[in-house]
Amino acid sequence: MRFITFLIFLNFLNTAINAEETRQVDQHEHGVGELNIAIDGSVIDFEFMLPGADIVGFEYEAKSDEDIVKVNEALAMLDNYKNIFSLPVNSNCKLSTSQISLKEEEHDEHEEHEEESHNEFYAKYSFSCGNIQEIDRIEFTYFKTFANSSELEVQFISNVGSTSFEVEGDAPFILTEGKI
Amino acid sequence: MLYLSVEKIRTSAYASFTDTISQTDLIVGSRTSSIQLLLYSVFRIGNATNNITWESYEDIISREEVKWSVPISLGDSHKGFRVMGTTDEYFTRYKYRGGQSLEIQNGEHLDDLYDVVLGASVTEKLGYKIGDPLIIAHGLSSFSKHEDQPFKVSGILKKTGTPVDNTVIVSLEAIEAIHVDWSSGAKTPGLETPIEIIRQMDLTPKNISGVLIGVNSKLQIFKLQRWVNEYSEEPLSAILPGVALQELWRVVGVVENVLIGISIVVIFTTLIGMTAIIFSSLNERRREMAIWRAMGATPTVILGLLMLEAFIVSFLSSVISTIFLFLLLIILQPWIDQTYGILISIEMFSVDELSVFVYFILAALLISLLPALRAYWLSINDGMTIKI
Repeated sequence: MRFITFLIFLNFLNTAINAEETRQVDQHEHGVGELNIAIDGSVIDFEFMLPGADIVGFEYEAKSDEDIVKVNEALAMLDNYKNIFSLPVNSNCKLSTSQISLKEEEHDEHEEHEEESHNEFYAKYSFSCGNIQEIDRIEFTYFKTFANSSELEVQFISNVGSTSFEVEGDAPFILTEGKI
Repeated sequence: MLYLSVEKIRTSAYASFTDTISQTDLIVGSRTSSIQLLLYSVFRIGNATNNITWESYEDIISREEVKWSVPISLGDSHKGFRVMGTTDEYFTRYKYRGGQSLEIQNGEHLDDLYDVVLGASVTEKLGYKIGDPLIIAHGLSSFSKHEDQPFKVSGILKKTGTPVDNTVIVSLEAIEAIHVDWSSGAKTPGLETPIEIIRQMDLTPKNISGVLIGVNSKLQIFKLQRWVNEYSEEPLSAILPGVALQELWRVVGVVENVLIGISIVVIFTTLIGMTAIIFSSLNERRREMAIWRAMGATPTVILGLLMLEAFIVSFLSSVISTIFLFLLLIILQPWIDQTYGILISIEMFSVDELSVFVYFILAALLISLLPALRAYWLSINDGMTIKI
């Protein structure tokens, strides 16, 4: 009997120890991608965080051949920024670096819970522009390229200040005149 | 004119609102919604859900992205005004209206531990002068006061039209100092550390309410923001002030629509009033019309005349109202800025505002068609025969 009590005590202790680790889960909404735009001097950076559901239609780890093909296709699409957005021609912006990746976030909280995973596509494009002031409108071809997507939440910062936009498929652009 | 005034106030209010804080890249606080963080750190409305430990603060500012940081500590008050503990850098780093700095009108910055700098409205309402003593109350609406440690007014800020006007600013160390003998929200009875000893103590704060941060390059902001949001030692939030301001404005924006709605109703009543006047004048002008007709004017001319009248009336009223509005703005602008902190810009109308005039005149013409058509039908056979 005493042994059992001890076991129960151990069990509690164990839970308490487990609770010590910090657990944080990032929020994640299907259909809504995030975009950060930062401007400094003649450089403009675009940083996309796109839910897997919007890009390939699923968020589990791609195991079947079919799914792997889909992921690779999506990565190839993201590789060319023109599939995602376009900048005014007279701003004379040239892509200097880009970085595309697939972030797999898994939370297998406990064995009794079902495994849950959220895949996120990450794409970062950095441009240097000849005439950055000419960027008055940024068009998003993203919504056409990935039909499952419906919204982009944009955080925007330049030396003028920061602001935000919500872009949706029926008006796929932002107006940035006076904000750069 | 009412519509235009409302429009002016609406756009100016938005501009003033977004101008409350500028050139601060990030605001960091305990994990909370961005609007709440903005409200308590900038507008001094509401409270922090939690404080940030000094260790986390040091972790954040040791990041290479951080150019400058201003910690703030809230929670105490003085006669209904919020007391904010901060560093001297607040006066140079906090900017409003696109880069204007805080200016001292009288006196000087925080120098001594027990110095306090007052916002313009605080001084106006409470009538303090430089050198006056001042007692800070514990909490926001409690009766317990930090009476053992009186402060001295060292400086008074110029009016800014921002929440800074309503703030009592002390140093971070002072906030720590007045709580030396306090534990779990109350003063420990019998314990009174003399001021001389407090002055020699290490008064590095244990926690703060928030941090204003400037970064070296705008390109690093989002990296730092993500780092703070994912900081595992303590749940923190980092927000971009402009983004949060806009979120907040979206909530407040309902009022904006109500204002627009009211002005549109006003335009309608004006138009209806004008038509009613033309209608009632028709009767009196029957003979006039008849004479026009007898002189050889066709009914179409009569119709045109009445519409011309409507056009002239609406056009003149637009012009007069514009002149009147600008006169009013020139006279009232300094006063509104002083009392409400809203800087109304006096500039020429935008295309949108000008188009309102065009729509108004068109609407006036359209609605004057009603009395004009009536005159058209009547004038064909009316008034020639004198009825007794």
